[in-house]
Amino acid sequence: MSDLYLSRIRNWFLSSPPAEWAINRLRETLIGSLSQGPIPGHVAFEMDGNRRYARSHKIETVEGHHLGFEALARVLEICYKCGVKVVTVYAFSLENFHRPKYEVDGLMQLAKVKLEQLIQHGELLDRYGASVRVLGRLDLIPPDVLEVVERAVAATSHNTTCVLNICFPYTSREEMTTAIRTTVEEYSTTPRPHSTPFSQSRITQKILSKQGDKPEGLDSIEETPSQSDDHDQDDAVSTATTLHSDPSTQKSEGSEKVAIYPNAETITPETIDKHLYTSGCPPLDIFVRTSGVERLSDFMLWQCHQDTHIFFLKCFWPEFDLWHFLPVLVEWQHRQKQKQREEKPRRVKQA
Amino acid sequence: METNFSKGDAGLGEEPRSRKPPQHQTLTDAHAPTGDDKLLYAMPFSAKDLQRYRKDEKFNHRLMTPEERIKLLKPYLPSPPSRDGARRASLSQVSREERKGKLGVRRFLRRHFHIFVYALIHFYFSIYIRLRQAYHAIGNRLYTVYHHHHHSPELIQRDIKDLSRLPKHLSVILTLEDQGRSGAGLEKLVNEAADIAAWCASIGISQLSIYEKTGILKGYVKETHQTISQRLQTYFGPSFPSVSLGAPHIPPIQSGLLSLSNSPNNDNRKNISILLISAEDGRDSIVDLTKTLAEMSQRKKLQAADITTELVDAELSESVMEEPDLLVLFSPFVELAGYPPWQIRLTEIFHVPDNQGVGYQVFCRALCKFAKAQMRMGR
Repeated sequence: MSDLYLSRIRNWFLSSPPAEWAINRLRETLIGSLSQGPIPGHVAFEMDGNRRYARSHKIETVEGHHLGFEALARVLEICYKCGVKVVTVYAFSLENFHRPKYEVDGLMQLAKVKLEQLIQHGELLDRYGASVRVLGRLDLIPPDVLEVVERAVAATSHNTTCVLNICFPYTSREEMTTAIRTTVEEYSTTPRPHSTPFSQSRITQKILSKQGDKPEGLDSIEETPSQSDDHDQDDAVSTATTLHSDPSTQKSEGSEKVAIYPNAETITPETIDKHLYTSGCPPLDIFVRTSGVERLSDFMLWQCHQDTHIFFLKCFWPEFDLWHFLPVLVEWQHRQKQKQREEKPRRVKQA
Repeated sequence: METNFSKGDAGLGEEPRSRKPPQHQTLTDAHAPTGDDKLLYAMPFSAKDLQRYRKDEKFNHRLMTPEERIKLLKPYLPSPPSRDGARRASLSQVSREERKGKLGVRRFLRRHFHIFVYALIHFYFSIYIRLRQAYHAIGNRLYTVYHHHHHSPELIQRDIKDLSRLPKHLSVILTLEDQGRSGAGLEKLVNEAADIAAWCASIGISQLSIYEKTGILKGYVKETHQTISQRLQTYFGPSFPSVSLGAPHIPPIQSGLLSLSNSPNNDNRKNISILLISAEDGRDSIVDLTKTLAEMSQRKKLQAADITTELVDAELSESVMEEPDLLVLFSPFVELAGYPPWQIRLTEIFHVPDNQGVGYQVFCRALCKFAKAQMRMGR
């Protein structure tokens, strides 16, 4: 009983205007202070635990997703105020289509309503200079939602300061497969022929005629100039038609083949990078997964398997707030500083 | 557990279909306070505004007009930088210098205050992290003392006998300590690999993959195999299990015939196959696959549409390895250091915070954690 009273009093106190004001001041101060240090360029969130949160608080699953959306809004605010350039969130996995239909529909409706609101207050994201991108199998989104998605992306595409990537029907393996497929397509299609006024065959002919021209021309000047002109012309024509014709055509065919298909050996990890959904984003610095599950679950595999710092947090996503994100950010900054410190003596040694 | 979840979902599933919006309203209202408790003060919104927002949300945003919502949100938005500048320019006629100076001073002070707080945070954090490291080190030490394997398979088996399931394919990430000079670092690496192989063999894990970024072990397959065999001998005695040690594109070395002939009662369960992988089996193998596919497509042996997740998966698991069930890290925090990205999709990743070096306690705790974890596959 006393516990209940205590929590009531605490809630009353915390929701009183002065306490609220003080907490908001504190938030602002902390965010402002942290942005003085190194700031990650790209952060990914796997928003896990909405349903378990709902279950543990005895509210509906869809309600849990709504609270999850509020958490997302909070986190985005923190990230953009700190100066994070790109935030990627895992909203919907291809595997999620296996969930009960009403829940899938609920999630789709949630996305639709929220994106519609976003379009209605376009200036909201403009204030942060944020643009929305949707990554994934767009063809699997229901048409009415897809239409809203496209409008939202178009409405914010002019913002360049920061990016919100929403992974919506997404799995990382699908992303990698798509990247491989588009790379293969790029390397096995002919580049469009240049429409320049200069014809290549004419140029080769000219070069050939000049090559044929020079030595014999010099010789012929010494002998008889009048004859040489005719001879030269004949010679040039003959070289173009008979002597060099066969090898030259063969050569051009050969070179065309190379031109048609760029060398597959020139494919590098960067080529694949360029074909991923996240192309153009800075490398992933922090990966956060909530709800205590320690798996990547098919999210950002290609992006996070190198030197990304991966954090698995115990809290459920709807609870996620500055107080959970702060330790992550501070620890990352701490490690970043440590790394610098370790690198310095090495550099000195090398010098 | 999985069935439990699906049951729960199914139970919920019957309700919403028959429910109408007003009913929904009452239902959530009855439960809302429990959910709100924590969030009320966690939001940057004031409690009153949050309640208004949630009420509106429950009616699918039909309660408020967009203008009202904007009014609600406005105080919480940062001021747009461009407007700020414009306002200052227009106001500047009378007291431009004074105002500018004032703003400048204020910004200067705020900036320095922030730098001060930043330094303070990091000062306290570095103290905190030292304490945490010490605390974890003591905890790990105690665990090590309590659970020591004493090179005996029986003791190791006793540690894991209560576990409900074991990984079929276990993977570890090891790090080469010294850069460049392959002396002590290499020896340490080989020893660590041998220890882990012995632990796996003791509990009957038949497949082990050892990831090391530089791939230096691949150059010493024979020596590593010898060390592992010797280590197994110290654990199991003369009838130690057979080992096959290989790497992608390197044929595996089977355990010598000697051990097989010496041990007629050697049960198959304990045979262990070990795979050495490195950074080149990660991104580079995917790039190589892309090259091959591109060449095939250029020769019209393949349509781009034929490239599916299944095809890529089959190729990569054939030429590199299959998805491991459990990945054990011995580093103080989670960083994958180039581990094959395709294969790590649903792998359970285990690490002990602030742990230093390879230890049996990490291995043991990883298995305990793995037994408790459950897969949901997005459901």
